[in-house]
Amino acid sequence: MIVQLFPTCLVNEFRPDVGMAVARVLERAGCEVALPEGLTCCGQPAFNAGFHDEARQVARHTIGVLGATDGPIVIPSGSCCDMLVHQNVELFRDDAAMADKARKVADRCREFSQLVAERLRANAAPAAAGAARRAPASTRVAYHPSCHLQRGLGVTREPRELVGSVTTAESVKFDEQDECCGFGGLFSIKNAEISAAMMDRKLAAIEASGADRLVSCDLGCLMHLEGGLRRRGAAIKVQHLAELLDEAATP
Amino acid sequence: MARPRRDEEPHVSDARAEILAKIERAVRTGRIPGGEPHGAPAAAKTAGDSTLSNADRFILEARALGVEVFVEWSAEAVRERLALLTSGKRVLAWHPNRLPYKAGDALPGAVSGAASKVEQARADVGVTGCHGAIAETGSLALIEGSGCSRTVSLLPPVHVALVRRADLIATMGEFFTARADAMAQSANCTFVTGPSRTADIELSLTIGVHGPGKVVVILGP
Amino acid sequence: MTFAARARDAIGNHQLHVALDRTTAQFGLRRSAAIATLDQFDAVRNQARAAKMQVLRTLGESLQEFERQLLASGARVHWAQTGEEANQIVVDIALKAGVRRVAKSKSMVSEETHLNGALERAGVTVIETDLGEYIVQLGNDRPSHIIAPIVHLTREQVGRLMQEKLAVPYTDDTQTLARYARERLREEFLQADMGLTGANFGVVENGTICLVTNEGNGRMVTTLPRIHVAMMGIEKLVPTMADLDRFLKLLARSATGQKLTTYTTLIRGPKRGGDDCGPEELHVVLIDNGRSQMLAGEIAEILGCIRCGACLNACPVYRTVGGHAYGDTYPGPVGAIVTPGLRGLDKHAELPGASSLCGACRDVCPVRLDIPRMLLALRHQAVEQTPQPLALRVGLKAFAHLASRPRLYRTAMSWVRRFLRSRASDGWIHDAPGMASGWTRFRELRAPAAQSFEAQWRARAATKSRT
Repeated sequence: MIVQLFPTCLVNEFRPDVGMAVARVLERAGCEVALPEGLTCCGQPAFNAGFHDEARQVARHTIGVLGATDGPIVIPSGSCCDMLVHQNVELFRDDAAMADKARKVADRCREFSQLVAERLRANAAPAAAGAARRAPASTRVAYHPSCHLQRGLGVTREPRELVGSVTTAESVKFDEQDECCGFGGLFSIKNAEISAAMMDRKLAAIEASGADRLVSCDLGCLMHLEGGLRRRGAAIKVQHLAELLDEAATP
Repeated sequence: MARPRRDEEPHVSDARAEILAKIERAVRTGRIPGGEPHGAPAAAKTAGDSTLSNADRFILEARALGVEVFVEWSAEAVRERLALLTSGKRVLAWHPNRLPYKAGDALPGAVSGAASKVEQARADVGVTGCHGAIAETGSLALIEGSGCSRTVSLLPPVHVALVRRADLIATMGEFFTARADAMAQSANCTFVTGPSRTADIELSLTIGVHGPGKVVVILGP
Repeated sequence: MTFAARARDAIGNHQLHVALDRTTAQFGLRRSAAIATLDQFDAVRNQARAAKMQVLRTLGESLQEFERQLLASGARVHWAQTGEEANQIVVDIALKAGVRRVAKSKSMVSEETHLNGALERAGVTVIETDLGEYIVQLGNDRPSHIIAPIVHLTREQVGRLMQEKLAVPYTDDTQTLARYARERLREEFLQADMGLTGANFGVVENGTICLVTNEGNGRMVTTLPRIHVAMMGIEKLVPTMADLDRFLKLLARSATGQKLTTYTTLIRGPKRGGDDCGPEELHVVLIDNGRSQMLAGEIAEILGCIRCGACLNACPVYRTVGGHAYGDTYPGPVGAIVTPGLRGLDKHAELPGASSLCGACRDVCPVRLDIPRMLLALRHQAVEQTPQPLALRVGLKAFAHLASRPRLYRTAMSWVRRFLRSRASDGWIHDAPGMASGWTRFRELRAPAAQSFEAQWRARAATKSRT
């Protein structure tokens, strides 16, 4: 099955290694990964800031690029996926033709963990993305559910199942696990003090849980939390779910 | 006697017309959602044990609120219990005609809602019947009317309510339907669900603020 | 003072931090436990939402029918376009009837209109009788939570306040403090000429006014004084008694974790012929004060709010900054929409932006209001109507221009990456320039990659196809 990969701007510019891990995990799950030509950004920062014209300009381009392809569109970010699935239709409310194109694209979008879990269920063969062929050191993993992923898209089970499928990783719960980490896109800069206070609460809970690894499906949350952990000098390793699964599968 | 009349001051009528005009324009452009809301809905959950009788459910809920419930099996036993609860106390009560089990006989010297507010406010115990006892929440429905003054269940620090089996009803919704006429003829229907309380200070619970701090139910036959 | 400044103060206030943690945690737990006792919680919420949206769609007709029913029950009905008009109506009623003392049960709309000041200026004494509001009044303070007005105060602070204002011995025992208030207020109830309340719900089909209270003061002020005035926002209607039943199942559970509050009072008109007690006059003041304006736009949905406060308790931002930071009557997620809606976005443009859009509020809302959608709509309105920081405007315009032109984008991004990498040591930036400095005040910023994912992918594909 061919899937179109939308890396997202953060992955593209900051963490191409996450993009590579995403591609490898998808390939192991039986997908052929294609990268549409000319993808840039989903337009969410402009949309969230209230700049609809700018957001539409970007979204129009993105929908155009994706619309010219076929098959599932995989996005390694809950917030970007939610933008494409729910917000674009809203953005183009007054433009029936674009709204229709947006809807067609929206219907094809899957967040990364959502698609991987789907493929694993569909495959009879246990090409389990996380099946350990070697044994990395046992690790205690705290999973941070990003807000757009869990509440916008309703994806709550899949990431946890996938973390759980890594046999050498122990899932560790922590206090107020579902609460927002404080990233919120531009919120992290425009309301930096509130963002940092929320981050401090989240990090304190993660540290108190004894986890040595923090995993999430959203790079924005990860950069924010990792940046905070580094500032504190904490030793917790921070990974996108794709990196955890890729590592576990790599001999 | 109250008579329906619209306020005639012109400025108020203007306000009414203006507001209605604004609303009429507004609903044409306003973003008022219709159907299903966005978001992943949670799974439905079930309430308590539905095999309980109304009586058992009522007693369970009431006790969970801190209401003391006595179950008596005869009118005489009800009167005895009532006498015990009110002996030596100043009593404010519904009119005897409105109390079940001829309970008035057990309350000689009780003051009624017709007395002055000051005198009513001196009472130690208020005794009422009820117009309904809602099982799902342990609530007492009290409909205001002649001889059923609200002050009886409000002013004294202790409220004793006489509940007949026949008063028990499963839910508030059913009560609304069954007693629609009685409610329509009254200025006030109050559901009392336990003793008065507050948690305004540091969210720590205090029982007994302005309304009665102790509610007692005598459930008779 | 701006929201940002108030928020900063709040974040630095350790005692507030403790109070907010306790408040949101406690309310959250109680709500969860209470929701578990409601059969078909989501179905009930959906029905409640449908009822409220229907009321809004037919608000004009609903209000007129409600008025008809109220009049038929003997109540008097007044309409107020603004807060000032509403206050004037109440003052006029009081003066006309020779009212000297008003006993108030909690009414948020009366705070919105600043009623107390208007009455005091007219020579009428007003006493708040809800314990939290009474303490707010004693301390000349402001409420910080819709349901529990003094969550920002400790018991010690309340004790000191009562000692000072009521000349009672200091104590931090909450039972005793409540008793002080009870003793003072009992006399007020018996002496007041007029009782003033809000209205939790108005039932269109029969003109019932429903009040939901715990302390008994709501009953006192609607039973003992000869006049009862109920102030009600025009959006507080529900169509039928069956709808009221659903809302009653949701309100207390969402607000305090109770199945029902201690007193659910249904009022239909002033006292009837045979009644021993009850007000001789019932006045209902229907208040617009900006609601019809909100109804006309993108935030009409927020008029479905039943003021339960659940969104406050779920909101990580409210938990961080508390109620006073929002700067007006209604705090939290609902306040971030209602305050700009009622008072003007130009004065409160910061509020819709003070959210990470996490959606926890929408999850807990008993009417399933889509608060994030409305916050986004207000942000858009703010961009159209209020001045935006130049850097943001220019930055987003430039980004949009680039992001719709892939080759230009790639080039520009490679410059940005190079620039940021030049500021990094060991792969991390400690001190980002310009707007991004907000980030590095609290966090390290990872330096971007030398090569974009797309470039690496194309290179890999090219290598593969050559072999």
